[in-house]
Amino acid sequence: MISIAVTGLGLATPIGLGHETVWPGLLAGRSGFRPVGLFDTSRHGTHLGAEVQDFDPAAWVRRTPVESMSRASHLGVAAARMALEDAGIDPENLAPETAERFGVTMGTTSGEPLEIERLSDLMVGDRLDELGGELAGRYPCHLIAAHVAAELGFAGPNQMIPTACAAGNYAIAFAVEALLAGRADLMIAGGADSFSRMTYTGFGKLGAIAPDVVRPFAKNRKGMIPGEGSGVLVLERTESALSRGARIYAEVAGYGLTCDAHHMTAAHPEGDGPARAMERALRTSGLSADEISYVSAHGTGTPTNDKLETLAVHRVFGRGTKVPISSIKSMIGHTMGAASAIEAAVCALAIHEGWIPPTTNYDEPDPECDLDCVPNQARQVRVDVAMNNAYAFGGNNASVIFRRPHVRA
Amino acid sequence: MSGREVVVTGLGLLSPLGDSADAFHEALLVGEVGVKPIELFDSSLLTTRNGGEIRPFEPERYLGERNLRPLDRTSRLLISAATRALEDSGWTEGARNGTELSLAVGTTYCSMHTIGEFDRRGLKLGPNYVSPFDFANSVINAAAGQAAIWHKLTGVNSTLAGGETSGLQAIAYGADLIRTGQADVVLAGGVEELCFESSIAYSRAGRLCGGEVGTDDDGRPVPFDRGRDGFAPGEGAGLLVLEAAEAAEARGAKIYARIAGSGSAFAPRRNGDLSAALARAIRTAWASNGAGGGALLCVASGASGARDLDAWEAEGIARGLEARGAAEAPVTAIKANLGEALGASGVFQAMSLIATLGDGRLPGIPGLQTTDEGFPLSGASAAARTVAVAPGALALATAISADGPVMALLLAAP
Repeated sequence: MISIAVTGLGLATPIGLGHETVWPGLLAGRSGFRPVGLFDTSRHGTHLGAEVQDFDPAAWVRRTPVESMSRASHLGVAAARMALEDAGIDPENLAPETAERFGVTMGTTSGEPLEIERLSDLMVGDRLDELGGELAGRYPCHLIAAHVAAELGFAGPNQMIPTACAAGNYAIAFAVEALLAGRADLMIAGGADSFSRMTYTGFGKLGAIAPDVVRPFAKNRKGMIPGEGSGVLVLERTESALSRGARIYAEVAGYGLTCDAHHMTAAHPEGDGPARAMERALRTSGLSADEISYVSAHGTGTPTNDKLETLAVHRVFGRGTKVPISSIKSMIGHTMGAASAIEAAVCALAIHEGWIPPTTNYDEPDPECDLDCVPNQARQVRVDVAMNNAYAFGGNNASVIFRRPHVRA
Repeated sequence: MSGREVVVTGLGLLSPLGDSADAFHEALLVGEVGVKPIELFDSSLLTTRNGGEIRPFEPERYLGERNLRPLDRTSRLLISAATRALEDSGWTEGARNGTELSLAVGTTYCSMHTIGEFDRRGLKLGPNYVSPFDFANSVINAAAGQAAIWHKLTGVNSTLAGGETSGLQAIAYGADLIRTGQADVVLAGGVEELCFESSIAYSRAGRLCGGEVGTDDDGRPVPFDRGRDGFAPGEGAGLLVLEAAEAAEARGAKIYARIAGSGSAFAPRRNGDLSAALARAIRTAWASNGAGGGALLCVASGASGARDLDAWEAEGIARGLEARGAAEAPVTAIKANLGEALGASGVFQAMSLIATLGDGRLPGIPGLQTTDEGFPLSGASAAARTVAVAPGALALATAISADGPVMALLLAAP
């Protein structure tokens, strides 16, 4: 059994910045879907996106010029600063030997897609002579973790993990290993992604984008809506969090990472990989399925995902399970590499606050998704153990389990 | 760090200097340089027309008759390297008896070419005309996902990005997963393809070797040399098969080396701060339980011919080894032969060290004439050498990225 404390949370989402804003927004069922602002969608079949609104990177990026980094890094730096402040740590006053023990790990799907889109614009427009050193300086995805660490002055382990839409959970798993191995005393772990025409175009081509709203687990669900954002958790070994008197939202109890090894974009028809990830997470946590009080679903809202996810949940929890399982993607869309990090923060808050956010836009039940998806209304309930599920292109599956601090100590 | 001891039981690589560990080692020993005029794409816009290209790359040789169309160059390279590594270690599909295999892949871009092609097609023809194959391959974990499908790797599947440090990051993470019991067998290493998109990015940033674009001055990557003017772009794929020592011994596997320790650090102010960070990473690696009392045999540096980075890396290695009295250890820099293969570089360095731990022969640095004034590594030499290998002897691989991450990996002779 693992015991890693979550002591800080930072969120940049399509329904607002900071968990103080986002959490009440989720409980109230706020929607982050707006007409796409980044690019012209007139040649696309859908027009809604989930972009982060009213975000001023200059308010967060302080040690380096704002224009030296791209949008996912801006969002990641903002969420990281929020999380660290929430954990009661001032990055301006870190002793060098402390900073060396503080690390960063971030996940992403596309890294900094706006930078390669600019390269495309220059190449297609025959204007390549305008390209300077900024592509090498702003595009590689590992810059997200690097910018976060440079902004905070963290000199410990630094790791970018681009495992697509499960990347936030992968980053948390990496941070857990780094802490358990004594490679670091505190880790920033999260995910960040930027809205992009590439992602929007690709999911559009797959026919996966909903024209109006996202309806996870509902019968007439029509797809996901691409989004952007960042979620960051501050993780520490529980004993060191306790010794500095930190507030502990929840503890990471265990995780499971698996691969379908089946298809790049289609899930395994029997939910094999996701079920194995959940089972492995339960095993490393020393918990059984009936001890889980809440599941944060991957729940993209595509016809296939939600059906196969239900199948996988049935395999682990049993057919007819009553475990509440909701998808905040009904409100903030699919924030890609940030999604499971934001949802991890939601799991920690569910335990700490005693509320479960709803699955909104739920109208007609689907017999193929016969789960308690906490339809439309937030639910006040004690949450002792929460499971965070995420699935990705490449067949990557990741489940992370959070529990109330000391619930089984 | 305690936990299970981790050993290397298989090697698979595709490099500009061959597709077997032995051929690779022999080529390095005779100073063969795989950095040659690029044929993959029109390189006339780069400061150098040379790169470490795998030529010819015939994926059918490794992948057989199956349909390769959904796979881009990066995936084909990685899957081919995995084929070699699985054969070498004995973990082929039919021989697993339910053992689950995991994969940790270091890469910087996966395929920046595929990502660019996908976007340009949408721009030129409209969003309805993009390729779903390209979209699936546009995620940075695409090669790891494709390799998992091809070789039925159903365990942990992680992709680790960190520029020049990516490959060592993946090997270190793979070893940690085995130590803590999260995985039993991990294919760990990295991949990168040579392409126009990443090459033009580095060329415009002034980081590639060579003079003005359009002149005959193509430069040459000579790590640590006073006249160095940048690195040459490279490519390749390599995977080590890692498993718990006890299990490897029980199944009678050939054991190439032990993973003795690793260290990861970051330089928040970058530049000269990278030296201090690398010195810390080296000390961390050496403080790992696995290092034992072995003496340091040699260092495989990540030096590439980059003007500033090479100097910082040399300084970091010297400072990291000082406390151990090992600053005179022989140092290699195989990017002189291979170019900068980013995600694949770290695993190339590790494979070169493993070969040296096996036979005591150490490559030189082709082209190295005069080092910088005050250059701190007396063990860097143009000539190949022989060293005596005792059981438990240690070998160090290092890498630094201009963006801040640094890595050190310590291997030990079995």
